[in-house]
Amino acid sequence: MKLARTAIDWGKLAPLRLHAQGVADGVYAGWHRSRRRGSGIEFGGHRAYVPGDDLRFIDRHALLRHGEPLVRQFETETDRTLCLLLDASASMSFRSERGIASKFAFAALLAAALAKVAVSGGDRVALSFIARNPSNELATSGGRQAFERVVGALESIEPSEDLHADRGALERAVVRIERRANRGANVVVFSDLLDLPDGALELLGGLAARGRNLCLVRVLDPTEIEFPFTGPVHLRALERPTQVETDGASARADYLAALAENERGLQQELLARGGRLLRASSGDDAIAIVRRILDALGGRPS
Amino acid sequence: MTFLVTAALAVGLLVLAPIVAHLLRRGRARIQDFPPAGLVPPKRSIARERSRLEDYLPLALRGLLVLCLALLGATPFVRCSRVSLSRQRGASVALAIVIDDSQSMRLRNERGVRWELALKAAHELFDSVREGDAVSIVLAGKPARIALSATMDLRAARHVLDELTASDRPTDLAAAVQLARSSLSGLAQRDRRVALFSDLAGEPPANGELPLWTPAPELALRADDCAVTSAEKHGARVEVNVACSSPAAARGRTLTISGQVAKATLVARAGTQTLELALDPKQKAEDVALDGADALALDDRAPIASASSSLGILVVEDTADSRVATGGPPPLDQALAALDADAALRSVALLPDQADDFAGLALALLDDPGGLTPEARSALTTFVERGGVAVAFLGPRAEHAPLGASFEPFAHGALRFRGDATSDAAPQSFAWLGPEGQSFSGLSPRGHVSLLAADLLGARTLATFSDGDPFLTERALGKGLIFTLALPTDPAQSDLVFRPGFVALLDHFLDEARQRRGAGKSVAGSEWTFDAASKVTIRGPRGPVDVSERALVNGSPRKFAVVDSAGRYALHIDDASEERVVTLDPEETLAEPHALVAGSAQAQIGAPRSETNVSPEFGMVALGLLGLELGLRAWRLARTRRITSVQEPRSRAS
Repeated sequence: MKLARTAIDWGKLAPLRLHAQGVADGVYAGWHRSRRRGSGIEFGGHRAYVPGDDLRFIDRHALLRHGEPLVRQFETETDRTLCLLLDASASMSFRSERGIASKFAFAALLAAALAKVAVSGGDRVALSFIARNPSNELATSGGRQAFERVVGALESIEPSEDLHADRGALERAVVRIERRANRGANVVVFSDLLDLPDGALELLGGLAARGRNLCLVRVLDPTEIEFPFTGPVHLRALERPTQVETDGASARADYLAALAENERGLQQELLARGGRLLRASSGDDAIAIVRRILDALGGRPS
Repeated sequence: MTFLVTAALAVGLLVLAPIVAHLLRRGRARIQDFPPAGLVPPKRSIARERSRLEDYLPLALRGLLVLCLALLGATPFVRCSRVSLSRQRGASVALAIVIDDSQSMRLRNERGVRWELALKAAHELFDSVREGDAVSIVLAGKPARIALSATMDLRAARHVLDELTASDRPTDLAAAVQLARSSLSGLAQRDRRVALFSDLAGEPPANGELPLWTPAPELALRADDCAVTSAEKHGARVEVNVACSSPAAARGRTLTISGQVAKATLVARAGTQTLELALDPKQKAEDVALDGADALALDDRAPIASASSSLGILVVEDTADSRVATGGPPPLDQALAALDADAALRSVALLPDQADDFAGLALALLDDPGGLTPEARSALTTFVERGGVAVAFLGPRAEHAPLGASFEPFAHGALRFRGDATSDAAPQSFAWLGPEGQSFSGLSPRGHVSLLAADLLGARTLATFSDGDPFLTERALGKGLIFTLALPTDPAQSDLVFRPGFVALLDHFLDEARQRRGAGKSVAGSEWTFDAASKVTIRGPRGPVDVSERALVNGSPRKFAVVDSAGRYALHIDDASEERVVTLDPEETLAEPHALVAGSAQAQIGAPRSETNVSPEFGMVALGLLGLELGLRAWRLARTRRITSVQEPRSRAS
């Protein structure tokens, strides 16, 4: 279902590049020491060139042989690729008066800041979206340009799709990440974990397999966390056709309990698969959240 | 309604404000986006519960308070529908209330029965009268009469007002207004008003010094009605007169004799129509009735009177002398026919000399008689003693009475016609005749019979010439009356017969004749007198009729009764019994009601406004409501504290 609300509400987070750089500067750059160097890297085969690939890895011999650009792939035991997966469904476009920006904008800030930190540490970054037809995904890349590409890709997506019934979109996104993230890669998923298709958590939890570090960041708006309504309210979900008429004051406790129960279930599910769940409020300090993510990934230097 | 009134009353709409606000608040809440809506438990019932009206009583009190304040703001301008009396600088008022109790006031128009509307309005007007005001009450049914002379005793006035009842009388509005105006003359109050409660059917009252005020214009609304004014039996048929105010009232209506099969259908037109119904001699016939419905059911039925019930009038005249140059019957006959169309007029040249010849007669008029023979005198005296009225217009022939003839019972001895007398009639002596009496001014007859020197056998003088010679005398004889005029009707002697006062004079004679002889048929409002009767009882269609006594100049009381309802009456006079029928005046049905037109006295009255300032009342109500709300709040507060004080020790104990 295509919803009317399409553009990202960046709020106070625009421009993303500067804010992400500021957040990254607040975090200690180089959260691990695995800068890829020539030795110890084993050739892992060729693949087709995609824009953004490092030109140094184009295999000129293969180009002459096959007539098309191919890049060489390497495998290393210390691959710390950062794979970012952002939920671009309609519910992520929500922003209340209490939030400084929409949930997607806040997630994009966190993702961009993480990318900056990773690139600064010499790691490569990949970016993917949970969307029906993502066109701005970034293959694994590193270097100074990688951050700029990540920011550009984040700024060009529109979280507008109703994906609660589209399990395929999630599956495709997970497959893409699994393809790009080798053993030891860090996978960070940003989602509000609302209105996702059935079995979504199993799919996402699968990203923690094969030695990958999975951190699932649940991004919520302050209103979704606090439920500040009073009096009669009529609430409507952004994806499912759900509408609720209730009394704010008397429903608050039940809602908060339901939310806590929901998170407890997610936490247990994820922990069982080796992943970690963090909650981030779009009204919170982004630096602290990034640090928590780094802590959760276990790579932050002391 | 002025803009200020509208604006003030518009404030009253604020009473809707809290209700509208509540309805808006109670409406569906605005839909808000909330992605985790699926986690929110629906609590619809609680949401509705909270939006329900919680305090009906305070809301009602405040609403009433707002309404009161709005009306309070508008009250100096509010035109109250009650009829009330405004005062010029608060001074006392002399008020004459003229209430029309004629038959047309019984009709029901679109607002109700006119009589009830008039009484209601009169009571409302009377409610605004206060101590120091003088009130008189005049009734406009014919004859107009003062029900209450001007008085400051308001209790007595209210009592009279409460006791008024409707009648079937004709209307005599002009005389009533004149009576009302005269009733206020000589009072100390400078502000004098005449309030007229009438449908104003017929001739409008004349303008006068005191303007007229008609506070109840709704009385003049039309009403469609047909009335059976009279029904008279002539042999084997019944002649019925029906008056209809409009073609609609007459359309499709049928006249029947009660208990008989004969029918006649009315012609659908306004006016009077005479219908004849064949009588079945084997069946009893008492009433005729109209079917259908109209504005008044009471007048749709009338008793059948016998033909002999018409007033019999005997005129003794020399038609050669009484003739006028323009031709036609003698002026006396014309005047009598104009006054009473139902009268049985018999014109003869010689006075009958047998008492039986006067049977069925009520009035005998003798124009310039040349003396009465002993037999004629005897017969006439018997006629008068039995209740007849005899009138002699004495003229030049009085001087030439043959031997053996005299003028008894009019006068004793010889009479002299003074052809040299130049004296004029004294109009002021005819004041008892009403406004028409003034028309005798400048009569200047060629001569008149001198009654001053004659032996009038104890007659009293009713009117005189300017030289003091009697013009008209009256003498009671037995149950009857004898009138003697010193002028003949001959136009060659004077233009007496052409003066309006002459018709009024004849009407007076006819009234006296009707009262004495009790014509079997008379119009509602007539007065029946019973001279020399010791015991009289009357039972009419609405029960017994009061018989009163009036003291005469000579000291002997005269019994009389006024019949103001149409129908059949049974009379017992001493040992004799008789039956009389009272009919309706067709003019009461035919005359169109109308309002006083602009430019007449009504417009010049300065419009005593029917406005009532009800600010004090509304102010008191507003204060009362405010006090009620404060009391309610105090009571609730006290109750809350009491409950709290009871609950606290329990919670501590637990």
